[in-house]
Amino acid sequence: MSNNTRYSEQELVSQLLQQNDQAFSYLYDNYSPALFGVINQIISNKEIAAEVLQDVFVNIWKKIGLYDDTKGRLFTWMLNIARNAAIDKLRSRSYQDSLKNQPLAENVNTITANSAANPLQNDIGLRKQVGKLKEEYRVLIDLSYYQGFTHEEISKILNLPLGTVKTRIRSALTQLRTMI
Amino acid sequence: MDIQEYISSGIIESYVLGLASPEEIAEFEKMCALYPELVAARTKFELSIEKQAFENAVIPPAGRKEKIWSAIQKVTPRSSSKIVTMQAGRARSNGLRWFAAASVILFLLTAWLAYSFYNKNRQLQTKIDNNDTTINELQAKINEMARGEKIMHDPDVMVVNMVGLKGSSSSANVYWDSTSTNVYMVVKNMPKLPSDKQYQLWALIGSNPVDLGLFDLPESSNVILKMKNTQKADAFAITIENRGNTGGPDLGQLQSMGKAKL
Repeated sequence: MSNNTRYSEQELVSQLLQQNDQAFSYLYDNYSPALFGVINQIISNKEIAAEVLQDVFVNIWKKIGLYDDTKGRLFTWMLNIARNAAIDKLRSRSYQDSLKNQPLAENVNTITANSAANPLQNDIGLRKQVGKLKEEYRVLIDLSYYQGFTHEEISKILNLPLGTVKTRIRSALTQLRTMI
Repeated sequence: MDIQEYISSGIIESYVLGLASPEEIAEFEKMCALYPELVAARTKFELSIEKQAFENAVIPPAGRKEKIWSAIQKVTPRSSSKIVTMQAGRARSNGLRWFAAASVILFLLTAWLAYSFYNKNRQLQTKIDNNDTTINELQAKINEMARGEKIMHDPDVMVVNMVGLKGSSSSANVYWDSTSTNVYMVVKNMPKLPSDKQYQLWALIGSNPVDLGLFDLPESSNVILKMKNTQKADAFAITIENRGNTGGPDLGQLQSMGKAKL
């Protein structure tokens, strides 16, 4: 399963819609490393991350009909599927149980400790840039983007007013943009 | 809303990274439809995130591609009806959209055609009505002429030439069919009368005048006036009478006379 064709995003989507196996091959060859990198920023265990990657590709295959190119690029859509799948895995009982040597993320201290205690995750990609943000911003992006907490949940975890959480996340994101 | 302010508010990053609330998402997508510069800024950020992800790509474990492919084939077996249904569904929904668009166009076209046909039909109907009127008028004239022709050439019909009296220039022809007793008259040249006067034709039987009918001057000399019937007549006379005269003839106003030669 390999080919030398170059597809535009649009061509790739239409090929995927026809459930063309060459399209899968192309999709995997071209996007799996980038997506696997993204998953790795959230799930450091390679084997578990590979399971997540599998869920991600099965989901892309099944849900390609829902992709709407007016709402954003194909990669953005796939990236969010990957991030959500990784966060779902992160929060799953099975994953939490597998982290035998680490406590459950039950409060803000353990959550932030979790992230901080994992240098592999903090060292790559976008997460490396996030690590360069000032602490109050870094924590917010970490909780929302990498751990999938809602603004309301973060407001409770950090004991900050909801409005402050929203404003700070926006500020953190605009600052992040200037860094990448 | 100042679009530049909106672009730099952090909404683009929230949206692209999947951190926006449903309300923010709805607003952002609406704004994107209105402001191409917002879409451009969004795409720019998406590309920077994409670049970041590709620069930090990690090759997945070997053999995972085949595992995923077999997992995919399990969830969507290629020959199963599920795939066919999905594809048919998409095709149909696309087809439906085209069908709907075509229907609207067809409807508008039909409405326009119906309207123009209706108008055309009305114009044609008016023309037909006008033509019918003309045909009826011509038919009436033809009938009249045919009748006149028949009367004038009927051997049973006697033509009485009415000659003007006392310097009157009045002249007319009376056609008397002695078999059917019908009396017709064609005015050739008679002066116009005031509106309260009418001409009256009389049959003179012996010295008795018998009323054959009052008449106004016809509009043309081709018109054959049908008068009252008479079985007998020695002569015919035309007088001028008051309109609607019911009495006897005003012989002082005798205009023309003609003798019936039997």
